[in-house]
This record gives sequence, C-alpha cells and structure tokens, in this order.
Amino acid sequence: MMRTVDKEVDVRGAALLCAVVLATAAGVFAGGRTEGESNSTKDRAGPAPFAERVREMSWDEVVAEAAGQEVFFYMWGGSESINEFVQGYVGERLEQRYEIRLNMVPVSDAGEIVNKVLGERQAGRSQDGSVDIMWINGENFRTMREADLLFGPYAAKLPNLELVDISEPVIRFDFGYPVEGYESPYGGAQFVMVYDRDRFDSPPETIDELLAWARDNPGRFTYPAPPDFNGSAFVRHVFYHVAGGSEEFQRPFDQELFDEVAPPTWDLLNELEPHLWRSGETYPETRTRLQRLFVDGQVDFDMDYNPRYAANLIQDGRYPQSARTFVFEEGTIANTHYLAIPFNASAKAAAMVVANFMLEPETQLEKTKTEVWGDPTVLSMEKLPEGERRRFEELPRSEAVLEPQVLQEHRLPEPRADWIEAIEEGWRENVLQQ
Amino acid sequence: MLGPAVVVPAALFVGGLVLGLAQSFNYFPVVGMNDFSLDAYGEVISRAGFLRSLALTVLVSGVTTGVTLVLGFLTALTLRRRLFARRALLFVYQLPLTMPYLVVAVGMMMLVDQSGLLARVLYHLGIITEPAQFPALVHDDRGVAIILVYVWKQVPFIGLIALAVLQSIGADYEQLARSLGATRFQTLRHILLPLVAPALVPASIIIFAFTFGSFEVPLLLGKSFPSMLSVFAYRLYTDADLAVRPQAMAAGMFIALCVLSLVYVYRRAARHALGAARS
Amino acid sequence: MTGERMLHRAVVAGILVAVVLPFLPIGLWSVGHRWFFPQLFPAELSVRGWSYLVSPQSRVLPALLNSVVIAAVVTLINVVLGVPAGRVLGTARFGMRGGIELLILAPLIVPGIAVIMGIQVVFIRIGLADTRAGVILAHLLPTLPYMILVMKGVFANYDHNYEQQARSLGARPGQVFAYVTLPSVFPGVVVGALFVFLVSWSQYVLTLMVGGGRVTTLPVLLFSFAGSGDHALTAVLSLVFVLPAVAVLAASARYLTGRSAALSGLGGR
Repeated sequence: MMRTVDKEVDVRGAALLCAVVLATAAGVFAGGRTEGESNSTKDRAGPAPFAERVREMSWDEVVAEAAGQEVFFYMWGGSESINEFVQGYVGERLEQRYEIRLNMVPVSDAGEIVNKVLGERQAGRSQDGSVDIMWINGENFRTMREADLLFGPYAAKLPNLELVDISEPVIRFDFGYPVEGYESPYGGAQFVMVYDRDRFDSPPETIDELLAWARDNPGRFTYPAPPDFNGSAFVRHVFYHVAGGSEEFQRPFDQELFDEVAPPTWDLLNELEPHLWRSGETYPETRTRLQRLFVDGQVDFDMDYNPRYAANLIQDGRYPQSARTFVFEEGTIANTHYLAIPFNASAKAAAMVVANFMLEPETQLEKTKTEVWGDPTVLSMEKLPEGERRRFEELPRSEAVLEPQVLQEHRLPEPRADWIEAIEEGWRENVLQQ
Repeated sequence: MLGPAVVVPAALFVGGLVLGLAQSFNYFPVVGMNDFSLDAYGEVISRAGFLRSLALTVLVSGVTTGVTLVLGFLTALTLRRRLFARRALLFVYQLPLTMPYLVVAVGMMMLVDQSGLLARVLYHLGIITEPAQFPALVHDDRGVAIILVYVWKQVPFIGLIALAVLQSIGADYEQLARSLGATRFQTLRHILLPLVAPALVPASIIIFAFTFGSFEVPLLLGKSFPSMLSVFAYRLYTDADLAVRPQAMAAGMFIALCVLSLVYVYRRAARHALGAARS
Repeated sequence: MTGERMLHRAVVAGILVAVVLPFLPIGLWSVGHRWFFPQLFPAELSVRGWSYLVSPQSRVLPALLNSVVIAAVVTLINVVLGVPAGRVLGTARFGMRGGIELLILAPLIVPGIAVIMGIQVVFIRIGLADTRAGVILAHLLPTLPYMILVMKGVFANYDHNYEQQARSLGARPGQVFAYVTLPSVFPGVVVGALFVFLVSWSQYVLTLMVGGGRVTTLPVLLFSFAGSGDHALTAVLSLVFVLPAVAVLAASARYLTGRSAALSGLGGR
C-alpha cells in the first residue's frame, strides 16, 4: 500500500480490471442461453422429492417431515394488523406445536409473487424456491395454474378441510376458476360500502339509489380507479347491475356478451362522472386514498372487501366512531382468499401444515376478532361441533359490522378472471380516458 | 493492488447495465426472445403515456432546478452576512442535505395534501371551507409536491456553493460598484450574478439530471398516469406480462441516455467554469 | 438600511420555517388519534404508533436491526476499500487512470433505475438475491464511488512530503500510516463514512429489488406504511428513520460548514 505505484503495474492492473469486468458481462450474458435447461443435481441424490411422495404419506408423516422446516409465507403486506397476526399468533403457534419457523414476507402486490415464481421457473430453479406458501386469488391463481407453477393438488390431504363446505361455489371456484385442490381456503371477503351515520341516517339501499344519491349530492361520491382491487369490484357491481345478474359471468369470457353489457355500463359511469368528487376529473388511485377522502369529509362513502374492516379502523382511531357498513339489496360480491404452494417450494410439508393450521377453528376464531384482523371465517358453521360454533356466534360484533346472516343472504359470486381484465381495460379506455 | 477488490461493485454495475441493455434490445431468452432488435424502443416510445411522462419529467426537473437556483442564490446572499447565531443558522440551513428523501416526501404529503396541515390552517383562517378548495398538490398532474420535496432538499446544496463563491469574492467588487453609484439591484445583476453563475451552472445540471432520473419520491407522491419516466419504466418492469420487460429496459436506457448527455454537458461546463474561476 | 435588514430577517425566518415545516405534521401524527379534517391539532392522543414500534411482533424492530447492520457493514467496507483506492486515484498518475475513474464513478452518474432493473437478475444468478449479504453488496454500488471520490479529493490535496520525511527519519510504514497519513486524512474519512452510512440507510429501491421482500429495512417498511394510509404509524417510523440523519449532521457539522478539505475535494478535478 505504501509503495509508490509503478506505471507498468497500473497498466496491467487496469487491463486486469477491464478483463474482469468484460468477463463478468460475458458471463451474465452467456448465462441467458442456458436458462431453462438446467436441472438441479440435487434431484439425483437423496430421497425422492416431496411432491412425488406426498400422495402415499399419512398426515402424521407430513407433520413429522415438516418439523424443523422454515417456511417463507409471501402475502400482501399492506395491513400491519394482518402482518402481526401472521407473524405473531400464527408464527408462534407453528413454532410451538410443529417446530416450524414461519417467515412472513410482505409484498405490495400479489402479482410480484407470481413474477417471482415465474422468474425462478424460467431461471431453471426447480428446487429451493424462495416462496413456500402464498396468499393469492383469482387472476394470479389462474396465471399460475396455466403456467404450471403450483404444487398440488394438496388441499384434500388437509384434515381441517373437512370443516369447510367445499361444495359451495364461492369456495369451489376462485373467481370462476376451479380450485381443484391446488389452493386451500382460509378466509372470506365480501364487498361492503361504508357511510358515516353522523352525516346522514340511512344509506342508499340499491345501486340505483346510490347513483341517484351521487347525482343529488355532487362531489360527495367517488370510487378508486381500477385496477385498484376495490374500485374494480365497484365497477363490477355496476356491470352486474346493467346485465341484470351475475350467472353468465361465471362462464368463460364471451366477447359478444361483453359487447352487449359493457357499453351501457360505460354510459352509466360516464353519466355519473361529472357528479363525482372533483367532477370526475380524477379518481383516487387506491382505496387508501378514498379512505382519506372519506374520513376528512370530502366524500361520504368508502368501500372495502373486508366487511369487518370498519370495526378495526374505528378501534385504531382511523375512522370516526359513527362509521357503519351496508350492502346493496341486490347483493355484493364475495370471494375467498386462498393459500397456494409453488412447484419449487423448499418446505412443502411445512407449507401444508401451515395451510392446515390456518383452517383450525381456533385460528379462524382469532382471525375473525376485530382487534386482530376481522377477516370472516371460511369454516362452515354446520360442520363445526356445537361448542366451536357457539364461540363464533358469540364473538362480539361491532355495530359497524353487519350480521353474518345479512352478509350471507346478500352474496354475489365473482366473475371469471378474464371478465375482470376486460372490464378493467374497458373502464380505462371508456371512462377514465374520456 | 486494490483494483480487483473495487472491481466487484463495478462488475455488478456493468453486469446490471449490460443485462438491461441486452433485454432492451429484445434479447430475453426467458420468454423466448432471442434476436436483437430495436423494437422495444419504438414500442415504448409510442406507448400511451410515454410522451406525457417525458414531458412531466422535463417539467418537474426544470422547475425544480429553476426554483432551487433562485432560492439558493437568494438565501446565500443573506447567509453571507454577519448574522446573529450564524453557526446555528447554517446548521439548520444544511439540515435538508442529510434528510432521507422518503421522510421528506411523507412530511410534505402530510403538509400539502388537500386535507393536510396547511389546508387545515387555511380553514381556520377562514380562507377555505372544505379540502376540495385547497389545490391538489399531491398525486396531481404537475408533480407539485414532488417539486417541493426536491427544492426543499436541494436549496442548501446550491446555497452553499453560492455562499462559498460569494465569500471568496469578498466585498470588494460590490463596494467598488456601489461607490460608483450602482444600486443594489444593479450590483446583484451585473456583478454578483455573473461571478457566481459559473459555479452554479454545473451544479444545476446535476440537479436537473438527478431529478430527471429520480424514482422514489415520484413513486410515493406522484400520480400513476401521467407518472415520471422512471416510475413509468418501473411499472413496466413489474408488469405481470413479461413480454413488456424489454420495453421497461428500453425506457430505463432512454433515461440513462438523457442523463448521460446532461452529464457530458456538465463536464464541459465544469471545465469551462474552472477555467473562468482561474482567470 | 432597515428595509434591507428586515428583508434579511425575513429570509432567515423563511429558512427556519421552511426547514421545520415538513416535520410538523409528522410530529403531530405520531401521537394523533382520530385526527380528521379540519382539526388543527389531534383531538385525541394515543401511543398506538409508538407501542407498535416497540412491539416484538411488529416488523419494525427487525427492520431497524437490518438497517443498522447493513449500513454499518457497508460503511466499514467502504472505508477499508475506499481509502486506499482513493489514495491511488488521488496521487498516482497512470495511463488508464481516466478510464478507471469513469468506471468507478459511473454508478453515481447513471440513474439507478436503468441499472437496478437489470441488476436483480444478476443477483439471482450469483445466488445472493433475497439475502442480507446480497443487499450489502448491492449497497456498495451507490456508496463506494462516492467514498473513493471523497478520498481522492482528500489525497489530491494531501502533501506526501510528510510521509517521506517520516520515512527518511526511520519510521516504519505502519507507523507512517498511523501517525502521519491517518490523522491528516481523518476528516475526509469521517465525512465520507458518515455520508456513506446515510446513503445505505436511505436506500429503498435497491434493497427492495435485491432483497426481494425478504430483507426488510426501515425505508422499505416506511414506504409500505406510507402507502397503507396509516398516518400515525408512518409518522412514528419516519421519526425513527430520521434520527441517524440528524445525528450525522450534528457530528459532521464541524466538517461541513464553510470550506473544508472534503468540500474542495468535491470540486471534481
């Protein structure tokens, strides 16, 4: 270090530098050509991969194999209460009961997880994937199924699945796409609207009434712009409303039908636009922003997929105490959230144990508590033993949350994922950009 | 020889750049694209929103640079005087330099949002009666909140440079001009400004280039359509459709090209400035 | 002239107000509960944000640890590598010096977005994606060039005669380094190290891309909170996040005000 640097040495050093840099670049480049061809040599040695053995294994054997594994749970991380529930409650019990170490990995958009697994498949990483289990839905599930990115079918192996009524359409189909055991359910969602009881006594009860209300109260209503999940759901409700029903949209995408229903929908929304907040010149980009508009008194309605979220927000001091929820007479869209395991998960046994644990009545109960998450249970009340059922029924329910009965009676199914894409695209072209 | 040890980050950098470049030329074996073409560049430029994003980016960068120059120069004029608690004042003045951008963005958002602190103050002063009457500065078409963040952060940067120059100039020229009858404004415009300008030109190019390629603040405070160019590229990159990845890379390369040209201009301006300073 | 003095007083006031302004709402939100428009001050106060901060089940403490460890290691590596490299570039003259300099400084010039998108795959290939070590390595990209730049400036202004004299008086290389070189360049090293720490501490996109969501640092968490609309949590985390920046400024205030060796080293020779 102390030697004075010699010109010759430096020319060589510089050449070395450039050579290394070029070699790296070449290596990075060349690596591209061998993508997709590689097979891990780990496959050849040791026991057969879990995916092959699991069919013959008993549940106890799965649990035994899962002991000591580390699970990376990728999920939407936008809510700290959910994150705390997963990392805290679930994580601790998994450790105590099954010796499984849970690592929650939050993402801001489930699409990122799909991208990640897809990227790994294409980089030839067929083992030791970074994702072990993930929370996905609808379009993302379909993408992964069609690209053959999932491990399964595994759901039938979970003992707790018996507590779920898998014949119910909202469970059997994930946005119209058959689940077929490649996902296991763990929570429910139902779209609700929110209003402030201090501002007016009773909210509009149908979509027509809501639209009329918006016209009578210019600037006091808006909805998040699709592709925000909640905004997209709202547009779907209008779409169903115009179509007069939801059954046709359970079937694969039909351009003719779409061309019949879509234009009147856009007309309706375009008519509505000048009466919206900021005269419809701009829409809040996310539900989060709509929430802010609502609490700050700029608009009078909020909307969310979690029917119990309002109670949670009131408790956290992020909603006025007079906030209340309601659903439309014609019903609101409900769906289920699921867990799925990628093809290259490194801890598949543990992932299955996690999925099963999520269906444990105790876990489902905890999850439904307002102060924890407030996520509706996916368990069927009829299949639960008397004692468990009573505990669910006796859960304190804030005034801001509707009775499960009411929610159940006003349920609409989600359309198939391809309809959603068309609706979102159509909205962007025909309503946003007008 | 420490070259090799330092080579590693350089190699990573080059690797990332080369890979990005290759993908921008449609070389993306992962989705089956195996031949080189400039298609992605054409596609991304003609993509809806690209030109608007470019325009917005130029606007935000330009306004930021301009406002920062003015405010930096003016504050330097004050700071060069012998003031009460000058050291403490200088400390406060430089605080923005080390503040992380994300925190500044969060604070600005809470401040100038339509229902933010400023709006509430105006409400209490009776100037507005509801949030909608306060201008939309966050998530808006012109990136005002973004500009505010960058100006807040960069003014001390320009100010310190101007201050250093003003201090090295000393008071002589000014006093001479005043004694010959020049007004303060004339002194400012014809003496001080030309002396400080050469040092500020390269700095302002840096600010413009930096704002042009910046990413985090627009991601948090900007609208998604139109967005600033770097956010535009990022959204393409995270798009579920992998086929648009080359377009994302093309957009990134475009940004890099713009910034690099600006840096080239900077180097020439800096050389010129040094030449002028020596004379 | 009083008019002018008032103008300058106004500017000073303006500076003070402007610097403090963004932090006002953050401070208020950190304890605000049910604070809706148009209330000027929170009607109710709550420590929800702060208790979440220290809750062992929240993501904050692990993120804080990550941020500290990563930034510290990055700074260390920067000092160890950057000082000698800066010395070489600042003193020696050799053929490809300009070229190497450009290569080393390139990451500072090329906008991050162009490189970061490509770099994610590079890290996957070398197997360091989603790891803390990978993030540390990645953080060298925006920091090392700067450190080398600062040290180059320092060494360029540095008079080697002292070293030569010391050696001619019989001092060993180790002693020369410890008693002559190091004390002279110390201010520059400190400035560089502090700045590098801050750069690593504030990295968002790089950590996100290379860490892949597995490595959570404070800025990543902050961004997530800011998007969730929970102002109280965001404000609390912002205050925690900003502390090192304030500390660094206080520590380096001696070196940053006025003209210093470091500043002139930035003149870009």
